[in-house]
Amino acid sequence: MKFNKLLYILLAGTATLTACKKSFLDEQPSTSVTVTESIKTTNDLADAVNGMYNVMKATTLFGRDIPVLGDLLADNTYVNVTNSGRYLLENNYQFISTTTEPSNIYSRAYFSILQANRIIYEGKKLPASDDNNQLIGEAYASRGLLYLELVNWFGAPYTVNPTASGVPIVTTPSYVSGFSVKTPRATVSAVYTQIVSDLDSAYAIMPTGGTSFHAINSDYIAKYAAKAIESRAYLYKGDYANALTAAKLVVDNGQYTLAQNASAFTGFWANPAAQTGKLETIFELNQNASSNLGNTGLDAIFSQAGYGDIQATDDLYSAYTATDLRRTLMVSGLRGGQQAWIINKFPNYSNTDKDETKIIRYAEVLVTLAESYARTGDEANAKIYLNQLAKVRDPSFAGYTSTGAQLITDILNERRKELAFEGLRFFDFTRLNLVINRPKQAYGYVSYPTVSISDYHRILPIPQSARDANSALTQNPGY
Amino acid sequence: MKRIFTFFFTLSIFAMNFAMAQNTKLTGKVVSADDGQPLPGVSVSIQGTKQGVLSDGDGNFTLTASVGQVLAFSYVGFTGQQITIPAGALPVIKLKSDNHMLSDVVIKDSYGTQAKKTYTGSAGVVKGAENENKPFSTFQQALQGEIAGVNVQINSGQPGALNQVRIRGINSITSAAAAQPLYVIDGMIVNGGADLTQRAGGTLSPLAGINNNDIENITVLKDAAATAIYGSRGSNGVIVINTKRGKSGKTEVRFDAEGGISSNLPLPDAGKPLTPDQYRSMFNEAFVNSGQYTAAQITALGTSYGLNSAGNNWYDLVTKRGSQQQYNVSVNGGNEKTRIFTSAGYFTQDATVLKSYLKRITGTLNLDHTVSKSFSIATNLNVSSINQNAPLQGSAYYSSPLASAYFLRPFQLGYNADGSINSSVTGNANFPTSSNSNPLYIAAHDVRGINNVRLLGAQTIKWNIWDQLKYTGYASMDYQTNEETSFLNAQMGDARSLNGSGTSQYSRYANWLVRNQLDYRYNIHGVEDFYVDASVGYEAQKSAGYLNTAYATGYPLTQPTLTAVGNAATPATASESTSNYTFDALYARANINYKNRYSLSGSFRRDGGSRFGTDKQYGSFYSVGGAWNIDGEDFFKKQNILTTAKIRSSYGTTGNANALANYQWRPTAGYGFNYNSANGQAYNTVGNPSLTWESSKKFDIGVDFGFFNDRLLFNVDYYNNKVDGLIQLVNIPWESGFGATQTSQAQNVGALQNKGWEFTVKGVPVKTKDFSWNVNLNAAYNANRMTKLAQNNQVNGNYWLANNYDYYTYYTRAYAGVNPANGNALWYTDAGRTSTTTNYSAAARVPYGHADPKITSGFSNTFNYKGIILALDFYGNFGNRISDSWSYYLNDGTYITGANKYQYTWLNRWTTPGQVTDVPKNVYGGGSSSNSSSGSTRFLYYGDYIRLKNVSLGYDLKNLDVVKKCGISKLYLYARATNLWTKTYDKRLPFDPEVPINGYNTEDIPQIRTITIGLNVGF
Repeated sequence: MKFNKLLYILLAGTATLTACKKSFLDEQPSTSVTVTESIKTTNDLADAVNGMYNVMKATTLFGRDIPVLGDLLADNTYVNVTNSGRYLLENNYQFISTTTEPSNIYSRAYFSILQANRIIYEGKKLPASDDNNQLIGEAYASRGLLYLELVNWFGAPYTVNPTASGVPIVTTPSYVSGFSVKTPRATVSAVYTQIVSDLDSAYAIMPTGGTSFHAINSDYIAKYAAKAIESRAYLYKGDYANALTAAKLVVDNGQYTLAQNASAFTGFWANPAAQTGKLETIFELNQNASSNLGNTGLDAIFSQAGYGDIQATDDLYSAYTATDLRRTLMVSGLRGGQQAWIINKFPNYSNTDKDETKIIRYAEVLVTLAESYARTGDEANAKIYLNQLAKVRDPSFAGYTSTGAQLITDILNERRKELAFEGLRFFDFTRLNLVINRPKQAYGYVSYPTVSISDYHRILPIPQSARDANSALTQNPGY
Repeated sequence: MKRIFTFFFTLSIFAMNFAMAQNTKLTGKVVSADDGQPLPGVSVSIQGTKQGVLSDGDGNFTLTASVGQVLAFSYVGFTGQQITIPAGALPVIKLKSDNHMLSDVVIKDSYGTQAKKTYTGSAGVVKGAENENKPFSTFQQALQGEIAGVNVQINSGQPGALNQVRIRGINSITSAAAAQPLYVIDGMIVNGGADLTQRAGGTLSPLAGINNNDIENITVLKDAAATAIYGSRGSNGVIVINTKRGKSGKTEVRFDAEGGISSNLPLPDAGKPLTPDQYRSMFNEAFVNSGQYTAAQITALGTSYGLNSAGNNWYDLVTKRGSQQQYNVSVNGGNEKTRIFTSAGYFTQDATVLKSYLKRITGTLNLDHTVSKSFSIATNLNVSSINQNAPLQGSAYYSSPLASAYFLRPFQLGYNADGSINSSVTGNANFPTSSNSNPLYIAAHDVRGINNVRLLGAQTIKWNIWDQLKYTGYASMDYQTNEETSFLNAQMGDARSLNGSGTSQYSRYANWLVRNQLDYRYNIHGVEDFYVDASVGYEAQKSAGYLNTAYATGYPLTQPTLTAVGNAATPATASESTSNYTFDALYARANINYKNRYSLSGSFRRDGGSRFGTDKQYGSFYSVGGAWNIDGEDFFKKQNILTTAKIRSSYGTTGNANALANYQWRPTAGYGFNYNSANGQAYNTVGNPSLTWESSKKFDIGVDFGFFNDRLLFNVDYYNNKVDGLIQLVNIPWESGFGATQTSQAQNVGALQNKGWEFTVKGVPVKTKDFSWNVNLNAAYNANRMTKLAQNNQVNGNYWLANNYDYYTYYTRAYAGVNPANGNALWYTDAGRTSTTTNYSAAARVPYGHADPKITSGFSNTFNYKGIILALDFYGNFGNRISDSWSYYLNDGTYITGANKYQYTWLNRWTTPGQVTDVPKNVYGGGSSSNSSSGSTRFLYYGDYIRLKNVSLGYDLKNLDVVKKCGISKLYLYARATNLWTKTYDKRLPFDPEVPINGYNTEDIPQIRTITIGLNVGF
């Protein structure tokens, strides 16, 4: 019966197909990998670290929103009456719990933290090596940096109320911990503990000389970059002794240098590429020709070839002496037919290779060190490090000789002048609990001249939609 | 392994039955004389005895009888037949239908053919002949109005565009594609419901290669009993296309030709753009009324906007007369052993908008061959090649031709004085901003074409293992390639800021399916006419999509022919990706039929799919149904009004896997997050391993009545579909990393319900010697409401998403009309309409009306008087509101410099105190009504309409002697017009009422009217 044979063959065939392996249903995408399988080698880990930096450099985080708000909410910049509609609510101090930028900063920071958590979680499964330690260290340092931003934007200053609500601390990637975990806000103090712990972890495991994956290059966080970020954290915390120790380590061992003359200074700011010789920048996020923020970066909000909405205040401009090299980073121009101080610190908007997004520079470490010395009673050393910076920036300047409260004021002014347009000014007001006097500009959009120390706007609102999703999140007072 | 056992167990049961079978038996086959299709459920009895059987799904029957006895065949809708049993094999029995309309005697889906008489499901059938030669570029267009409950929205007049089809309401809210039905062609589940590509602004249905003339019938499966066998993909209903097959007998050759012209559907009077003179008057009046300008300033403004020239009519400039042609030739013939149907077709259609056309070549070869008594094979082969050009359409695009007709001022001149096309980008009389382009220049310089080649082939092997047991092996491949070129010029239009852009895209979809099925028929012993038909099968399918794109910008400005990507200065994107899915299913279906009087059906399918998360990768779907043919009862025969009556009902579950994108459930780290020119990966797709199909519970109850010897059939259905597990993006804790800046997590959280009624009257109400009237009148009422949402009471774009509301419920401010004293626009401040305000922002938004129709209806008539045939097909749509994406710009004087305006807004504007009107005073800048043309109930028009879709008049000359002498059996000459007449119910409506299902007119390519003449020749 050959038919019967055939029947059996057919049925066997049917049955075989029926018993089709489960793999038949396992269709894999061609441009992504299952997250649990995504980091198996050091090379994967390096890819993930690159991905983390890519996520961090977005417009909604370090790429634009953070640096813009850090100056705009303070006294360095304003939105011109001629504008594209961006940052008006912040300029006017009218932001509420549904305002876009605070919402984006919160969301994007946790998205970046997710990447860092993943690198740390998966990276620890790989065998320990200098390469892996460097990469994991970069994730630790990034996480510390991100929590420092979050706690300063969304929590009360540590110096004002360390037991106030900070932000939720998440250190496990959500594909491991689950997506419905409703983490409540930790205290500001607990968040700082986490920040210091992360930065210490990074410093402890990262090799001094970098690795073949990430040679010393300002586009990647190096061992002393972690320490530099830590000095900022301690400064914001008001822990000047530890800030001093951290900053001193960077100054003594980091081998970073300042641009020593006018042409080096101009050349440094004009250069869109990363620093490989430890000049000025300790860490910055890469924005090169093939991957940049296009017309949505910080350069575009300043450049008159881009949106060009935001200019420097007259008050800031007049803080510089005529011989201060840093004054050349602002140029007199026209906006809506009126004179304005056009910010030219990031001049590569029209180039295909854009300006790197500055995160921390050596100059900041020097002023942090100076402030820490001054506040711990060593005014001599304070002036040494302050003048190291001040005299090189203004070649005609003989150096500070002040003492006491005046010295602190001089240090803060120097800090303002050095770090303008890098998004740090606001925190000098909040950490020191000072009234913010926002200078009225003739062609400023709307003025909100005084931010008193009781003004609830000194802390950004927790996004309403984030609270809708996580019932454990409390709102900041006033919103 | 378990499954192997199941098969052997099944096999052993069959074997036992085989042992009990008789040896002296006859086998035969019953087919329809009209189309050669097998007839299931035909009653075959031996005269003078009580013995009898019913034919099975392939028209086969087996019974024990002896030579010389008389076999009687009877079947509803067909003339009975008797034959005396000859010595040797029985001939194929061909039953003639006793009227023209009862063609839908069988329901044929992927898994077999079932007799309509005992069918427990709800399904509608349209004979392909109804739509042959109609000048519709897709079969869906032709399907509109033909089956109750099938809502076809011809939302774009672009030839070949994907039409939105919704069966029994909107059953999924994830995307437009997720609510489309499943398409099946000759048993193959094809990729048919989504646009072929993601190309912005373009649309080509993946099924545009189907030639209406190759279709034997279209069957629409609606309820659970009909669709549950399709498991996780049946929830939106199933549209089954069966193509023509050869039949034995005289070889028939047919030639059909139709050609003619296409023209614009007339614009509603309310929506005609202003003439140059009107625009000039409105412009000047708006500035005068603003009170901010002196007469001299207004004159100067007018000069700068070119108001002194003669102006031009943009609508006339961007539209034109088109043409329409199609030619089809087919051969149908064969003998009892081998039958063939083959055809070739050419179709070309020009829309009435510049550079919008489709050309299509199709070919079909369907073969059936009986190898031996127990083996037969069937082959289907359908090839098509399409060339389509589609301008960027919809008002989101600067270069959309119809949007230009409204957005351009009449004083922006299309042509220079010397007759050349105006390409100037300076001055307000030209095209100074990129949002304002000369569509004539665009049409002359841009390319937006797609070449689609499709090969759809299937092979079937049938093996009658023994009388009761049959094996069917089926394999099919649906292979499509698309080559797309898009070039936008550097001078003006959407790519002006990029100095021109070009995109080259290639996509390929290879979709295969294999199926192994066993059909078993069991005659319950000792009970006459009591059958169980059972099928069990396995099906596996994989669709592999391959897509690549090259995109570049910066083109040579004055080299119009160099449109290839290689000519561009800046390579911007090069991408390659795959998009695959697989399904793996085990299914079974059984019908129990007693005397064609009572039938019960059940189906079961276990489906696994690659689109389902690992936590819920397999699902089971089932249905149960029952039907009672009351006409089989003795008491029924005591009345003579009704000839047939049937009650049927079903309940079951199906799913919707199309609501899921391929790979969507996977938590993945994506590449492309590059940093410093090195590779970067980031965990960016949250994924959800529990993500799975949307599931639907369907209930249906229906009655079918036949009057006057079934010359008139009435059908009523009530249904209730409850869809659960609707996929929505859920706001998960942001600390997980997936907050506002990321795509959130998709979860099966929502639910909705569609309830409705369907009515159909079909038949031949009048039939005399010289005159007959064929009619198909159907209407469907559907009520859609959301029953569960991830977030209740929320604004969803222009709609209000809340429980107990229709999904497409508008959410807008209630317009309170114009203050007769001063012409200011007013809105209500609250839902209760107690007070009004002139401040638009202070007005309350309220839920108001909805976009999807409550009632859709079709009314088709064919009148035949002595061979003169008049066909009239109407389509109606009722109970919805429709709106306009750009009412803001096209009404009132506020933005008079920004765009031309609708006639209605000019002719009805408030001018004098005391005047009662709904259009505010014409003021540049709006005065105190500066938001007057912002969205409100003022721009929610009544969407009701009735359209005369198709009318044709013809005569068959076959009886002329000269024709007969040439051996011509048919020579039908006719004239046809489509979209000849449309009745709307809102005098303010400024556009054609047929808009996308979401209710928003977007100034897309308009539908066309065609006037054609045609010829059908048969030999």
